[in-house]
Amino acid sequence: MNSHSQKGLDLKSGLGSGAGAGDAEATLRLIAGLSAPLGLEERVKAALHEVPRSGSLLHWPAGPRSGWMQSTWARTAAAAAIVFVVAGGGWEVYSRVQPAEPPNAIALPPVAAHGGFSSANAIRTPRTLNGTVLTHPLAAPARPDAIAEKKQADRAKKPVKNGKAEATEPIAP
Amino acid sequence: MEIAPSAVQDEARQQVEEEALEALVGQYASTLYRVAFSILRNPSDAEDAVQEAFVRVLRHRDTLGEIRDHRVWLIRIVWNIVLDRKRRAKTRPETDDVAELARVLPADGLSAEQRAAAAQHRAHVLSCVDRLPTKEREVMVLSAFEELTSVEIASVLGITESSVRSRIFRARNLMADLLQHSRSLR
Repeated sequence: MNSHSQKGLDLKSGLGSGAGAGDAEATLRLIAGLSAPLGLEERVKAALHEVPRSGSLLHWPAGPRSGWMQSTWARTAAAAAIVFVVAGGGWEVYSRVQPAEPPNAIALPPVAAHGGFSSANAIRTPRTLNGTVLTHPLAAPARPDAIAEKKQADRAKKPVKNGKAEATEPIAP
Repeated sequence: MEIAPSAVQDEARQQVEEEALEALVGQYASTLYRVAFSILRNPSDAEDAVQEAFVRVLRHRDTLGEIRDHRVWLIRIVWNIVLDRKRRAKTRPETDDVAELARVLPADGLSAEQRAAAAQHRAHVLSCVDRLPTKEREVMVLSAFEELTSVEIASVLGITESSVRSRIFRARNLMADLLQHSRSLR
């Protein structure tokens, strides 16, 4: 065994040197080999009996001493049932309360019945912008072929100079 | 009156723990005493340290089942107690303790003169041991216990096995130098 080969650290195996170390080890071994005083064990045991015992912990649950709660499986089942009820209740509440959807239209309050408050003929009028007012109906959109005919007629009316048509627009420098 | 089953179980468990503790006392009290005495060098202080160690075990008796090696665990406890006491009583002169210890050590088969010379020599050796650095001295003291392996010493001191070996090597060399130096001065 490895432990047997290492007993006492094999102090005489040549580690270090000199008779001085051997003297020291021999002296320390004498100390280590001193026998314990007589009656040591009895005195220690007596001292242990004098030590006040610490309070014991209460066991949970502190219910009836003889009953179904004494068995482990019953406690486990009870704990599981409690967890089930609590979790189920939480899910019930969560499933019922849904987030409110944004309304599509503004619901007006109902007209008051007889004997209730009335709206005093107040009518809600929406705000509108004051834009330009058209006095005559809009013209029909021009046809593309009509625009081409007009351009051709304008080109025929322009005077011709030295065989070239006059530039109507100055050329940009 | 009806007795609760849990109370009966507690009583039985407490009884088992107390028996286990008493078995530990019977098995290791002398070992712990020798470890304590090798450092404190005073019988009553060593006995007090042993008692304190077992009181600590009593307070942590719930963990007894988790301990792999009770012997090393107990030695570690008493070692810590002893070092703590030694640290607190550092102001006390140790020369008287050394001389007293040297006289107590066995010297069978020696004449009165030889016994006195041996006691003087051992007192000198012990004073040299006391002059070693703490780390080397601790390893050297623990290594004197034949029943402690290097692995166990490493476990008690909380260091590696290679550290134990290197420290014991340095301690031996330092001891040789110290004793050689004192011889040359004579």
